[in-house]
Amino acid sequence: MNKVANIFKGLFSVGSLCAAILIAAPAAHAQEAVALDGKVKVERVETVDGKEQTVFKEPTSVVPGDKLVFSTAYRNTSTQPVDNFVVTNPLPGAVMLAETDDSFEVSVDGGATFGALADLTITDAEAGQRAAKPADVTHIRWTLARIAPGEEGVLEYHAIVR
Amino acid sequence: MTNARTKLALATTTAILFAMPHAAHATGVTAGTLIENTASATYESGAGPQTVDSNTVTVTVDELLDVAIATQDAGAVPISGSGTVLTFEVTNTGNGPEAFDLTADPAVTGNDFDATIDAIAIDTNGNGTYDPGVDTILGAGDSTPVLDPDEALTVFVIVSPPAGITDGDTSQVNLLAEATTGTGTPGTVFTGAGESGVDAVVGSSSADADTNGSLLASLATVALVKSAVIADPFGGSEAVPGAVVTYTLVATVQGSGTVSNLRITDVIPTGTTYSAGTLTLDAAGLSDADDADAGKASAAGIDVLVGTGTAGADYTVTFDVTID
Repeated sequence: MNKVANIFKGLFSVGSLCAAILIAAPAAHAQEAVALDGKVKVERVETVDGKEQTVFKEPTSVVPGDKLVFSTAYRNTSTQPVDNFVVTNPLPGAVMLAETDDSFEVSVDGGATFGALADLTITDAEAGQRAAKPADVTHIRWTLARIAPGEEGVLEYHAIVR
Repeated sequence: MTNARTKLALATTTAILFAMPHAAHATGVTAGTLIENTASATYESGAGPQTVDSNTVTVTVDELLDVAIATQDAGAVPISGSGTVLTFEVTNTGNGPEAFDLTADPAVTGNDFDATIDAIAIDTNGNGTYDPGVDTILGAGDSTPVLDPDEALTVFVIVSPPAGITDGDTSQVNLLAEATTGTGTPGTVFTGAGESGVDAVVGSSSADADTNGSLLASLATVALVKSAVIADPFGGSEAVPGAVVTYTLVATVQGSGTVSNLRITDVIPTGTTYSAGTLTLDAAGLSDADDADAGKASAAGIDVLVGTGTAGADYTVTFDVTID
């Protein structure tokens, strides 16, 4: 009994140590199976050879009304599949969601509940209960059931500078 | 605003947005605001539940230069003399604090006359009415005080009419407001010229706006007609010694507006003598003495101070003389 208890105790200690390291240096540890890489681009309409086309540029100059594309690239760097991969992205307060997309769910209550925008309502001090609008969205959430080893992809949303 | 403070403000804004999703600024987020985006993921792997954060991407909001101007006068402002006030409102529709240069141009195509610009003043006490000596007059080359985003400033343009205008003439005065940072075609960038060193970008207004205020010449003129009726001692109307002549002076104010200090005077003709106590204004008797009432009369002549005369009104003075 004592021996077994000691083994458990030892395991527990090691586990605690790992947890402590994880908390202290979450960005540096090598055990993460998935790497995330965030980027932002600004959407501009430019005229090239007399034709208008949308181009995405590094945002050197952003003003209210500009359209931004925030992207998060993911990649399963491990040799094991990853399950229930859920990416949550709080919207920066200075932007509003430009358009909804079937690929993600949204929250209009600070991330407490998620769903399709069309199914969500909001309680407005002036208008009472009303349907939620893209401008009400506070969080976006993508859910991927499984990512195979080596699999990668990009999650993105479009937003407008308020 | 420093970057650190902006970050703090942004964090607070997020919390407020949750409660009031409609709190978005009418003219957009303030210049210098940082837009920071971080995604986080949870998943299950062989090692159990895991959490990972992405890097944070940050974009700084530049200063948008925009302005709007509107006249505050309900219609054409009557002008008859100096000190005529046209009222405008200048609004900073950009997203950063900005001052504006104001230029008043009295020469607008289609004008019957061009007014003289005497001064441009700002509504220092904020009551919407020009108060001489209280509201600050902008000196040559002065711009407005710095206006916060969405802040509006009432501006007065004080004008006088040129000589030789006639009643009913119309004129317009153009007031132009330009962002002091710069103006240009929308999208023009002034590197580092914005609030807290961000770039300033010309917005859809071209960072300038102008509008016209209207003037309507409101000038009153006075026409004076004199007539005489003679009553001789024999019941006739012969101008014989002893006959009484009643003179009637009618002053008619024409045009629009008012005249001030309207005064009707006349001399007693040679060979006649003023009949004491016969002076009237609009059928009301006036004493001959130089006293509180509007008129006085003597052997030399009569003098009636009507005061303010309103367009469309008649003022009638009568007095009698006896032929010597």
